[in-house]
Amino acid sequence: MSDNSIHAVAALQAVGSKRGRDWPKHLVIWLILALQLLPLYMMFQISFKDNTEFLTNPWFPLLPWHWHFDNFVYGVKLIGPYIGNTVFIATVSASCTIFLATLAAYFFARYKMPLSNVLWSIFLVLMLLPAIANIVPLFMLLKSMNLLNTLQALIVIAMAGGQVFNTFILRNFIEDLPKDLFEAAEIDGASHFQQIINIVVPMSAPIIGTLFILSFLGQWNDFMMPLIVLRDRELFTLGVGLVYLNGEYVKQWGQIMSAFMVASIPLIIIFLFCMKLFVRGLAAGAVKG
Amino acid sequence: MPATIISTRKALRQWHLYLFVVPSLLLIGTFCYYPAISAIIHSFFDWQGSDQMQFLGLDNFKRALADPILRQSFGTMCILVVANFFKMVPAILLAVVIHRLTSDKWQYWYRVLLIVPMVVPGLVSLFIWKFFFDPNLGIINNAFDLLHIKHMLVWLDVNWFHSGTFRMDAPISWLSEPRLIIPSLIFWGFPWVGAVSVFIFLAGLQGIGTEVYEAAELDGASPFQKFTHIELPLIMTQVRLNVILMMIGALQDYGLQFMLLGGNGGAGMKGMVPGLWMFNRAFLAGEFGYACSIGIILFFLILLMTYINNKYIRVDK
Repeated sequence: MSDNSIHAVAALQAVGSKRGRDWPKHLVIWLILALQLLPLYMMFQISFKDNTEFLTNPWFPLLPWHWHFDNFVYGVKLIGPYIGNTVFIATVSASCTIFLATLAAYFFARYKMPLSNVLWSIFLVLMLLPAIANIVPLFMLLKSMNLLNTLQALIVIAMAGGQVFNTFILRNFIEDLPKDLFEAAEIDGASHFQQIINIVVPMSAPIIGTLFILSFLGQWNDFMMPLIVLRDRELFTLGVGLVYLNGEYVKQWGQIMSAFMVASIPLIIIFLFCMKLFVRGLAAGAVKG
Repeated sequence: MPATIISTRKALRQWHLYLFVVPSLLLIGTFCYYPAISAIIHSFFDWQGSDQMQFLGLDNFKRALADPILRQSFGTMCILVVANFFKMVPAILLAVVIHRLTSDKWQYWYRVLLIVPMVVPGLVSLFIWKFFFDPNLGIINNAFDLLHIKHMLVWLDVNWFHSGTFRMDAPISWLSEPRLIIPSLIFWGFPWVGAVSVFIFLAGLQGIGTEVYEAAELDGASPFQKFTHIELPLIMTQVRLNVILMMIGALQDYGLQFMLLGGNGGAGMKGMVPGLWMFNRAFLAGEFGYACSIGIILFFLILLMTYINNKYIRVDK
């Protein structure tokens, strides 16, 4: 047997053996993922039970014809208004954040004006400074601005908090766009605003989508700020609503779990439609570290 | 695209360009810089939240250094950080196994499955875990009964530790028994494979080509040798990055402790962490000035971590 054919056989064996030995890997992955997904499974199956069914049979789902859909009626009634508030805050703040960040990123990417560097370092410094000490003075600031117990407070804080990261990412992206495009647009007499709408936004749509989702997720999951800012029940966001739900209705687990399900459904729907954006956004975040 | 340079004289005519950054600057000035500066100033004052303040000099910081609860909270935090080292193991294992799969399709779908728990609001998974820990209804106690782990724990306790933590006649109360609070916090989120950390490790592993594996296989390397000689060295940067991110997270996160145990950190304040103590002093005790000074101490610790991260960890960037 010649040298070449030995290599060929070895390569074939390597490929063949790899395929043959893939099932233990799948087993390990499924085992870990099963444990990781256990909370979601429990939430799903308990949400269809009442307390006695849960106590006699905590682990396994009921047969579909025994499901208590009235739990969900309760869940929607309870969580629905909170979801409305949260969707409002998350959409408005994510859109405004990214709009303003795009403007700022456009400025930094295209022009080098006097003071540009100073202004840029004002942004960069915040990337490094932790915000932990801010929460107490922020509360006082909102109090003196009469913004306590309003949804606007949450929106402006989210907008301010998102400026640095989004501007940073968008600036890098806009800098990589070909200059000819902007020059051609300028010859045609396009204003800066038109250039942003017609060049920057279409060309960086994927990154804008990813940033929008990240910022939306951040608002959706936040509960510390709403908990400090909001007092009135009508204004509660999902986070505060869930905290109060957890405190009040300790008895009916089926109803609580169905409320949790209802709280998760909007994001699950978004996730199904933008799975690629989620996976890519997280992978990009991971590479950036 | 290189940025167009605009000279000072030209800038006077094109001043309106600055309007593009003004909104962002106003926002971060008001809601990021002003509170930070205000926190520094107020950390030197006795401030109960009103306009009246009394200058204390460094008294707040002296008090913080001597504060037994703050010390205890840093101890708790250190235990949680050390535990987090071991909690990285399943994420590394999972990333390596996913990376070794030959099928790209499966790799993609496992990533999707990893993200699924992230789609559920963080609070919901937090409360589901709180429900798992429930002494009477929680499924952890249920599983421990089914698998006879409780018998074992009681036997160990009676014969070896004599702490009286585990008793046959009472359900294990994970979150209200002081001795069990820290173990519960550590166990929380088992098996600890968050999408972000797995993705960070996967990003590090991506650099390894198949030919490296083929070469290793020709040399007869076992799967474990492949891990120690190929994969682990390549993800060491990511491991160190994860460690730093984790320590920064431990310094500034207190939502978990607040939600599971309440503003006082549970029975005996066992679950108190520094961030929660700051929150507690400000919003439960009304000592805003003292809370600011705790915040400033945490601020400098996080800054130190970030500095170490940028200086020593991200050398390859």
